[in-house]
Amino acid sequence: MSTSQTDPPNTGKSGIPTWVKILVPVIATGGLAVTGVLVAITVFVVTAWFGLPLPVFGFDEPPEQPIAFPHTVHAGTDVLLDVNGVARVGGDGQELHGLGLDCTFCHRTVTTSAQAGVPAVQLCSFCHRVVGAESNVQFEQLRGAGLEPFVGAINWQRVHRLPDSVRFVHDPHIRFLTDNPGVIGNADSSITGLSSAQPAQVCSTCHGSIATMEKVKQVEPLKMGQCVNCHRDNEAPVDCSTCHF
Amino acid sequence: MVTQQDSPYNWGMVVDVDRCTGCQACVIACQAENNVPLNTENLYKEQRTYSWIRVERYWEGEFPDVKARFIPIMCQHCGNAPCEPVCPVFATYHNNEGLNVQVYNRCVGTRYCAIGCPYNVRFFNYWEPVWPEALRNQLNPDVTIRSRGIMEKCSFCIQRIRRAERVARRDDRLVADGEIQTACTQACPTNALTFGNLKDPDSKVSRMSKDRRAYKLLDEKIGTDPNVIYLARVEEKAEAVHG
Ligand code: HEC
Ligand code: HEC
Ligand code: HEC
Ligand code: HEC
Ligand code: HEC
Repeated sequence: MSTSQTDPPNTGKSGIPTWVKILVPVIATGGLAVTGVLVAITVFVVTAWFGLPLPVFGFDEPPEQPIAFPHTVHAGTDVLLDVNGVARVGGDGQELHGLGLDCTFCHRTVTTSAQAGVPAVQLCSFCHRVVGAESNVQFEQLRGAGLEPFVGAINWQRVHRLPDSVRFVHDPHIRFLTDNPGVIGNADSSITGLSSAQPAQVCSTCHGSIATMEKVKQVEPLKMGQCVNCHRDNEAPVDCSTCHF
Repeated sequence: MVTQQDSPYNWGMVVDVDRCTGCQACVIACQAENNVPLNTENLYKEQRTYSWIRVERYWEGEFPDVKARFIPIMCQHCGNAPCEPVCPVFATYHNNEGLNVQVYNRCVGTRYCAIGCPYNVRFFNYWEPVWPEALRNQLNPDVTIRSRGIMEKCSFCIQRIRRAERVARRDDRLVADGEIQTACTQACPTNALTFGNLKDPDSKVSRMSKDRRAYKLLDEKIGTDPNVIYLARVEEKAEAVHG
């Protein structure tokens, strides 16, 4: 290898300076690395979003229940009762309305424990041993599920479900909201006239007006923001380990 | 920022080493209570087994005059915890009740805390935990199942603490001494473990922690200020018998 003094600086075969040759791949790999990081972040954000999405596009359709249990008939008073299209009429000739049962009649443990609980078939049979003896698809189903001879259980599908890493307890909330009706955000006028207005309104804070729902569906986001905002406003604990453990 | 309200509680534990027989009942109780994955043979070979509380065994003396010594070790819930400042996402922090809290869903699995911990009581889930079909119904519904990639450790059975506190608040009183039993204190046949409120000067743990035998693991050396207090072994005066 001989280089004469008159030659220009060593530019290699293609005439590109060496430092350019070194820099280009360095920049290229650097760029690739940055792109890689950006892609990774995007993927992370997108998967996180679809893992626990905010309900900006509305809530998921409620799951199919084994029996189409109507809260309107049992907890509301607005609906008129009918059997196979024929209106039910009371002894005095008046049309019969929904029963307006107290939420705690069926969700018995809601005031005393973490879970609200869904009633056992036995509770349904209090009434449905008598009510609905007529041939009705729903009641056939109910009986098929073990109403007679009062064994077995109905596999209700969960509608409201927080992620496994969150612990929610009903009883302190019910107690607090019962004592502080002012905090209840969306009190529903259709239930205020009832004797059972208190619990139904309390529940409406997080579940909406269930008594007017043919099929239970989620209407509140029940995201961490909602929980923590209310906690902060009402001097409830906001320590992470209140809800996460 | 999360504001820290003042709390009437500072949970702590006293471990009477003199009473520990090394029976491992606490280990099993903890495993059942806190959904700690089973330590299978395979995991053992991979050196990926763990338990939130472990009983360290060491020998004293020379054969044949040798004695087995036991010391149960769980998260010390340090007041000045080395694991907390190293977490880049604040998944572990100290709460106002003296607990070193691990927020599982916040954790991203850097494992810095495990490196920071001088007691070796933080464990990483290298695998998705699996339980045999027969054991699925014994899982505790009050405790999150930690998935793969998450750090976990002794929580002082926070689910039991929360429950007792809730009941106490409902009844408008403070949690009474002895009302909360962690799984390990409940299972211990010799009452070597005692759990309670260190802020209450009359509680059993407070009184025990003033014992002459009291010491804290590594506290003098590195100043971690643990909420777990150990009571030293009582040496038999009969040194001469086997000396
Ligand atoms: C307090 C008495 C009572 C209880 C308890 C009760 N029901 Fe009813 N239920 C009624 C009455 C009254 C009707 C209206 C019947 C009618 O119109 O013939 C009704 C209607 C229904 C219907 C609707 C039928 C239709 O298509 O119109 C279903 C389904 C039903 N009940 C299921 C249940 C289930 C499941 C339970 C237990 C969780 C239950 N009920 C508990 C009194 C009760
Ligand atoms: C007659 C008994 C009965 C009464 C009264 C009743 N419920 Fe229900 N509730 C049920 C049954 C059975 C289910 C399960 C079926 C379903 O999800 O539709 C249920 C489901 C629910 C769910 C959904 C649970 C889930 O899976 O997330 C909510 C929320 C609820 N009820 C709230 C209320 C409220 C609020 C009231 C009072 C306005 C009320 N219920 C009154 C029987 C009752
Ligand atoms: C502060 C908000 C809030 C209030 C008030 C509330 N709930 Fe709930 N409810 C929830 C959340 C959140 C869940 C989901 C819990 C989970 O996944 O662990 C839930 C779940 C349920 C469920 C199904 C799971 C279970 O616990 O059995 C029923 C039934 C229910 N609620 C009924 C009621 C009734 C009845 C009331 C009124 C007495 C009520 N809730 C008041 C937030 C609330
Ligand atoms: C409408 C306001 C409100 C909303 C919404 C709300 N909370 Fe609460 N929560 C409270 C209040 C007030 C208390 C304290 C009750 C008491 O102890 O007297 C409380 C207490 C609690 C407790 C018990 C704390 C303890 O250990 O004693 C838990 C757990 C909890 N909330 C979780 C949640 C979760 C999870 C959500 C969201 C799904 C939520 N809360 C939504 C008002 C609310
Ligand atoms: C009042 C109850 C409450 C408190 C206090 C609370 N959280 Fe949450 N957190 C929730 C609920 C409810 C969700 C579930 C939201 C959802 O469904 O997407 C959640 C979700 C999360 C998630 C997302 C989990 C995931 O899988 O995407 C993280 C991270 C989190 N919380 C961290 C924290 C931290 C850190 C703190 C303490 C500063 C804290 N939370 C305090 C109720 C709470």
